[in-house]
Amino acid sequence: MIEIKNLHKTYQKNEVLKGIHLTVNTGETLAIIGSSGSGKSTLLRSLNLLETPDEGTITIDDFSFDAKNINRTVRSEARKRATMVFQNFNLFENKTALENVTEALRVVQKIPKKEADAIGEEYLQKVGLLERKDYYPTALSGGQKQRVAIARALALKPKVILFDEPTSALDPELVQEVLAVIKKVAKEQVTMIIVTHEMDFARDVADEIAFMDGGKIVEVSPAKEFFTNSKNERVQQFLANYLAQFSYSI
Amino acid sequence: MERIFDVKYLISALPHVISGIPVSLSIAVVAFFFGTMLGFIGAMAKIYKIPVLRQITVAYVSFVRGTPLVAQIFLIYYGIPVILKIVNEKMGTNLNVSGIPAILFIFIAFSLNAGAYLTETIRSAILSVEKGQMEAAYSVGMTPTQTMLRIILPQALKLGLPNISNFFIGLLKDTSLAFVAAVPDIMGEAKIVAGRTSRFFEAYIDAAVIFWMICVAFELLIHVAENHTRRNEKGVVS
Repeated sequence: MIEIKNLHKTYQKNEVLKGIHLTVNTGETLAIIGSSGSGKSTLLRSLNLLETPDEGTITIDDFSFDAKNINRTVRSEARKRATMVFQNFNLFENKTALENVTEALRVVQKIPKKEADAIGEEYLQKVGLLERKDYYPTALSGGQKQRVAIARALALKPKVILFDEPTSALDPELVQEVLAVIKKVAKEQVTMIIVTHEMDFARDVADEIAFMDGGKIVEVSPAKEFFTNSKNERVQQFLANYLAQFSYSI
Repeated sequence: MERIFDVKYLISALPHVISGIPVSLSIAVVAFFFGTMLGFIGAMAKIYKIPVLRQITVAYVSFVRGTPLVAQIFLIYYGIPVILKIVNEKMGTNLNVSGIPAILFIFIAFSLNAGAYLTETIRSAILSVEKGQMEAAYSVGMTPTQTMLRIILPQALKLGLPNISNFFIGLLKDTSLAFVAAVPDIMGEAKIVAGRTSRFFEAYIDAAVIFWMICVAFELLIHVAENHTRRNEKGVVS
């Protein structure tokens, strides 16, 4: 489970997170939506401590920490429990698909090579890319890269997986293969937070949807309610804009 | 009558000029080795903005790049004995300056020189690795040291290899300046042998050809190394 209390983050003079409160229960999938610049990615990156929050407390599974005392141990403990899938995939360019998955198993979890390779192959199989295990990222398509990145995250058996706009850098026709893999993961008991612009996908995969605006979470509600019954004016406006794009006629 | 151009002499002087190869190579290799270490420390100091060390690095790089190598060799060659004398006087020690072989001064001067240039080469290579690579490594739980050694440096080496090779070849040829401190490298040996007969042109042709051959050998080596670091571009492990 994840519990965020009063999280603040300021870049120079620009306050990006203005006191975030959020709870995600174990095994649940939360989608965060909202317009660009609303702080979605910063929130997600703060959970993985790729950004250092200024104030607030975060609990990931059985580990809690305060923004005031973040050190090496805290970073390592937080990252043991939560792993990130990036918009730009960020596969290790100098490693093959299999090595990308096994790297952390070997150097972080200290699993012997043979065993790590077996785990790596198992997870590549899961995302349907076992036959690409000896390919370097340069020889993989965007969708394949992202699926390897998901395998890399899953293989570590984290309590939480954080997806930062996992399909935003993909060609439209490659989006579905990645979303299919994420849906498959959502069915297992992994807690997930997904920052996304794919509304249909969010409605499909998420248990709850959080809407962010101007550095705050303005609404959290069950996925079905969110799209049909939101009382919040800002949410209604956002959804209206989103739906409008399908109603243009020539 | 004396020949205008003496091919026989050109060949007979060759072994003498060749005898300078070990000196040239050892200067280049030693300077490259210590220069790489200094360069890595300097690059880290600059990238991570380590206080004090960073300011020292900035001044060091600026000085070395802003003065000729010959001047640096003279400063070390004449400066270290002066420093030793002062130390002897102040501390009452009895360090012997003349016991130090001249080539040691050359090693120090060339290493310091290489360190400054390699600081910038290594720094730019590390910075040209995409930031996402580091974030991904952190995200899966790798420590900063593991990230540097296993993810960033291998990729930086690939990006920096052309510049590093270029620098090494330049360094190899710069060893001809060692003769100003009476250390006879390839050029020095050519000068010595030619001085006996005044057939400078022939001796310098020997020296030039030897330098060229060594550099050709290195180019081949570099080519192999580059293929190895760029193996990921082939796409699949064969």
